[in-house]
Amino acid sequence: MKNISIGQYYSANSPIHRLDARTKVLLAILYIVVSVLCKNVFAFALLLISGIFTVLLSRIPLRIILRSLKPIIIIMLFTVFINLFMTSGDRLLFEWKFIKIYVEGIYNAVFMAVRIVILIVGASLFLTYTTTPIKLTDAIERLLWPLKKIHVPVHEFAMMMTIALRFIPTLSDETDKIMSAQKARGAGFDNGGLIKRAKALIPVLIPLFVSSFRHADELATAMECRCYHGGNGRTKMTVTHMRFSDWFAMLLMVALGTAIVFINIYGKGYSM
Amino acid sequence: MENKIQIENVSFVYSPGTTYRTDALDDVSIGFEKGKITGLIGHTGSGKSTLVQMLNGLLKPASGRVLIDGEDIWEKPKEISKVRFRVGLVMQYPEYQLFEETVRKDIAFGPKNMGMSDEQIAKSTETVAKIVGLDESVLDKSPFDLSGGQKRRAAIAGVMAMEPEVLVLDEPAAGLDPEGRNSIFAAIADYQKQKNATVIIVSHSMEDMARWCDNVVVMSHSKVYMAGTTDEIFERASELVSVGLDIPEITRLMMLLKKRGLDVDLGAYTVDAAIASVKKLFDENKDR
Repeated sequence: MKNISIGQYYSANSPIHRLDARTKVLLAILYIVVSVLCKNVFAFALLLISGIFTVLLSRIPLRIILRSLKPIIIIMLFTVFINLFMTSGDRLLFEWKFIKIYVEGIYNAVFMAVRIVILIVGASLFLTYTTTPIKLTDAIERLLWPLKKIHVPVHEFAMMMTIALRFIPTLSDETDKIMSAQKARGAGFDNGGLIKRAKALIPVLIPLFVSSFRHADELATAMECRCYHGGNGRTKMTVTHMRFSDWFAMLLMVALGTAIVFINIYGKGYSM
Repeated sequence: MENKIQIENVSFVYSPGTTYRTDALDDVSIGFEKGKITGLIGHTGSGKSTLVQMLNGLLKPASGRVLIDGEDIWEKPKEISKVRFRVGLVMQYPEYQLFEETVRKDIAFGPKNMGMSDEQIAKSTETVAKIVGLDESVLDKSPFDLSGGQKRRAAIAGVMAMEPEVLVLDEPAAGLDPEGRNSIFAAIADYQKQKNATVIIVSHSMEDMARWCDNVVVMSHSKVYMAGTTDEIFERASELVSVGLDIPEITRLMMLLKKRGLDVDLGAYTVDAAIASVKKLFDENKDR
């Protein structure tokens, strides 16, 4: 487990990497909204083109992006089939017993596939691939800052997220070590039935719990020793500023959204 | 002299094929003598811990063979757990692996996995508790209520209770005070004597090596740098310094004396031997 990577950050120097993390969070949200808004065939075409453009701009190899689609392939196929067989329309294309496929069904299936791909690729491109987890939590903290007015502990939430992320590799390392130690004492983890396997995890889980509490304790002490007292009056070591490129990127996204809404209303061709 | 464990041309790489790729062992061949205590020293990252995990089959060598009593342990990969009962491995900070309700139960975990009978387990627990110096009253406590040193000893007892022919310990005394260190090493030496076991100890402390080990293997940059009896290795103390390893303080003192023109014995790596050497020199020059 030595090579475990948290999130899927892909280090590169692209225009998207250089954007402020706050911009990328907003872009991701907007992109999701835009892809859900799409209805017209030309709107979907535009969406697809914008997606390809973003991928090219991010300078992330295609095979890495395709990897992010792997976990949702089942859901995608399911949606495609549902749309293919369940949509009824005027232009019947194929009929066999109770199965009827309409041209509209094919359209809808393709639309849904495009929408899901753009949804996932867009969100992971802006958030996980081009932004480090630390920058991301920082951005969320700053975006949610207004909520402080109604006494939401924004800083504390962000700190908890950061700490949780920080400890994933530590705990995975520790799990590895404890498993090796128990294996050395003859514990088996990959044989026997379900109950036997679950039981075999006890010698790993208990030490793991104990050590995570120990880590938490030690970290709390260390933070207190360095006079940590929460978010009040705390300044940042590096403060990022919105630059021209950030505003420009958001403008592009808003333009895309407007164009898609416009096409939805006035565009010719098939509409969902 | 017979080697209990023989390692032949073993190489190992972590995360092969990625940018994180690191060579941990590079064509290492070494034998560990039967019935002796062998010390394994080297820098952090020199491959000691990797080597140690090869010995009981926790890691499989990328190439090369690991032989116990002349038999390749990976000949039947399905029976690798049997090897783990023959070669007991105590990992670094073993106290973090304690999990049972009582110390007694925790010590019994290994033997139970081996399929020992309850009687045998009870007998074995009693023996190892005595070896590591845990009182009867401690055995029924929760392992989480023990002191640091006691926890360490309980964890080591848990491996000793499997009565392995080979006992391998990765930094068994790390983080303990001098008294704790000595009691741990004394327990290990005691186990070795009682079972006539082969013992391999990984340590950073040259003093401990000099005091407790019969043989020493020095590792550096994923390779075996030198190997021999403790006498042989500490005679070459200056070479140890050149690879950046610590040498016993007393050896350093002897080297300084030699530099100042006193003809002392550089092979003296224990305080007693050093005193003898200086005294001899003193007696020889008394008449002048």
